[in-house]
Amino acid sequence: MENKQSSSPASFVDSTVVPGDVVLDLSSMTNQTIKLGGGLRQDCDAISAMKAGTLRFSKPNKYWIESSQKRYVPCVEDTILGIVVDSKADNFLIDIKGPAMGFLPVLAFEGGTRRNIPKFEVGTLLYLRVVKANFGMNPELSCTDASGKAAEFGPLKDGYMFETSTGLSRKLLSSPACPVLEALGKKLSFEIAVGLNGRVWVNAASPDTIVVVANAIMNSECLSGAQQIIMVDHLLKNIQ
Amino acid sequence: MEGRLANSWRLTVNDKNFIKTALLSEIRIDGRKPFEYRKISIKFGRQLLKEYFLIDAILLVEAIRCILLFCIIEEDGSSEVQLGQTRVMGMVTAQLVQPYRDRPKEGILSIFTEFSPMADPSFEPGRPGELAVELGRIVDRGLRESRAVDTESLCILAGKFVWAIRIDLHILDNGGNLVDAANIAALAALLTFRRPECSLGGEDGQEVIVHPPEIREPLPLTVHHLPVAISFGFFSNESILVIDPTHNEEAVMGGRMTTTVNANGDICAIQKSGGEGVPRRVIMQCLQLATSKAASITKQIKDAVEVFNTERALRKIKRHPTSTGDDVREKQN
Repeated sequence: MENKQSSSPASFVDSTVVPGDVVLDLSSMTNQTIKLGGGLRQDCDAISAMKAGTLRFSKPNKYWIESSQKRYVPCVEDTILGIVVDSKADNFLIDIKGPAMGFLPVLAFEGGTRRNIPKFEVGTLLYLRVVKANFGMNPELSCTDASGKAAEFGPLKDGYMFETSTGLSRKLLSSPACPVLEALGKKLSFEIAVGLNGRVWVNAASPDTIVVVANAIMNSECLSGAQQIIMVDHLLKNIQ
Repeated sequence: MEGRLANSWRLTVNDKNFIKTALLSEIRIDGRKPFEYRKISIKFGRQLLKEYFLIDAILLVEAIRCILLFCIIEEDGSSEVQLGQTRVMGMVTAQLVQPYRDRPKEGILSIFTEFSPMADPSFEPGRPGELAVELGRIVDRGLRESRAVDTESLCILAGKFVWAIRIDLHILDNGGNLVDAANIAALAALLTFRRPECSLGGEDGQEVIVHPPEIREPLPLTVHHLPVAISFGFFSNESILVIDPTHNEEAVMGGRMTTTVNANGDICAIQKSGGEGVPRRVIMQCLQLATSKAASITKQIKDAVEVFNTERALRKIKRHPTSTGDDVREKQN
C-alpha cells in the first residue's frame, strides 16, 4: 500500500490494475476536477480500483477501468441496449444484463407526461442511457439525452440483436473506428447500435447482410486489426 | 419476483421475427444452411487438462473451474464435447454391485444428468428440471433399447457381482441442442472408458479379485454400435425444418423431434415431445437426413477416440510379462 501511494498516478494509466490498487491520490492533485467511470471508487483522498482491468484516461479528466466480461455493471452515462421485461405503473422493468433490473420511469421520454405513456410489449428492444447507478438501488435509465431530447434513444425496430462481451462492445465504439466495422462498411450498408452492456443490434435491407455483419463482429473478438480485415474480406468473398 | 425475472433468459421481439423471416429465405443466424450441423470437437481427459491450464493463465474464473475439474477428471472415460457454443462433459465410472434379481447375468447401465446454473441461469440448482429428465431419458433410451453396450459381458459372478456403469453428463454451457451434444459426450466417454480386470479366486472360486490398473491392463467396454441422437426443429410457418437448432432457435421453434440412429441406418429411438404436429412425410425426410448425419458423426467420434487411444498407447506402462497380481501381493507380504 505504502509504495503504491508514493508512485505517481500517471504510471497506472494504461496498465493492469487489480481490486484494491490505489490508482490516484487526490491530495497530490488539488484544484483539479476529475470524473470517475466504472470500476473506481473514492475513499477520502484515495481513488482505488474495484475490479481487475486496464486503467484508462481520456483528456481532460475522465478515468475508468476497462475489462471484458459477460455481466454488465451499470455506470452513469453509459449508453446501453435493454429489453423490456415488465411494465409497472411508474416504471418499465428493463433487463440490462446487469445484477439488477433497470428501472425506466414512464416519464423519461422526450416531452413525456402522464397522458402519453408509451406502450411497450414484453421483449421490446430499447436504446437507453443510464442516469443513476447507485449501490443497492436498481439503476435508473432514460430514453432522453441530458438535455431532455430524444436524440437516438428509444425502441429499435426490426433487425437482429446479439450478445457480446462488454470489452468487444467498447472496442466497437472506440474512435478511430474499429477495423471490422470499417472493413464491413466499405462493402455493405447496414445500421448498427452498440450498447456498452455487451449487446449489439444490427439492421440491414436483407437478412443475409445482417447475418454476415453479426458473425463478423462476433468473430472479431480475439483478432488483431489486420486479422479482422482479412476475415471480413474472406467472408465477403464467400457471399458474392 | 424480481430475482426470478433476472434469472430467466429472454429473446427480444426483434430476434424472434428476424429468425423466422431469415429462415423463409433459408438463412440461419449463425450462417448455416438449414440442414447443416455445427462443428463438433471432442476432447478427452488428459487433453482437457492441458487446455484448461493454458486458458487459466488468462481467466481467473476458469481457474476455479479448473481446480474442480482437476478433482473430477480421470484419464479414461471422460470426455468434453463442444457443439458450437454448447459444451457438455461426459464421465463414466464403474462399481461392483449385486445385479437386479430378474436379470442376474446382466450389468447395470445408468445415466445421470447435471444441469449447472453456470451453464444457463434458468437452470435451478438442486432438483433436476423437466429438460434434465428428458435429456437423460433420451440418451438412456438410445443406449439401452438398442443394446449398444453389451451388459452381459459386465457380469462377473451371476447373481452376485456385476459392474454397474454410471454415465454422468454435466452441462457446462447451453448453446442449444443439449440432447445431441450430451449423447455424443456419453458415447465418447463410453468408448474410452476402461474397467479394471477381474478374476475369480479363493477356495471355492467365488471370491472376486479386482486387479489394479498397474498390474493388469484395464479392459474397454464392448460397444456394438453408436446410436447418435440428431435433433430437428420445426417452425410454424411453411413447415420449415432445421437440423441442430441453436439456443435462439429453440426459443422460437414450434416443435422438436430427436431421432436416434446409428451409422448402419438402424433407427434406435425417436422422441417427439409436444409442440406442433409433424406429417409422416417430414418424419421420413428427417430420418433420411439423420442417417447421413449419423454416419459422419460416428466417424468423427471414432477418429477422436482413435487419436486418444494412440496417445494412450504411447504412454502405456511397461509390464513384465510374467508379473501377475499374486506375485505382487507375495512381494508385499
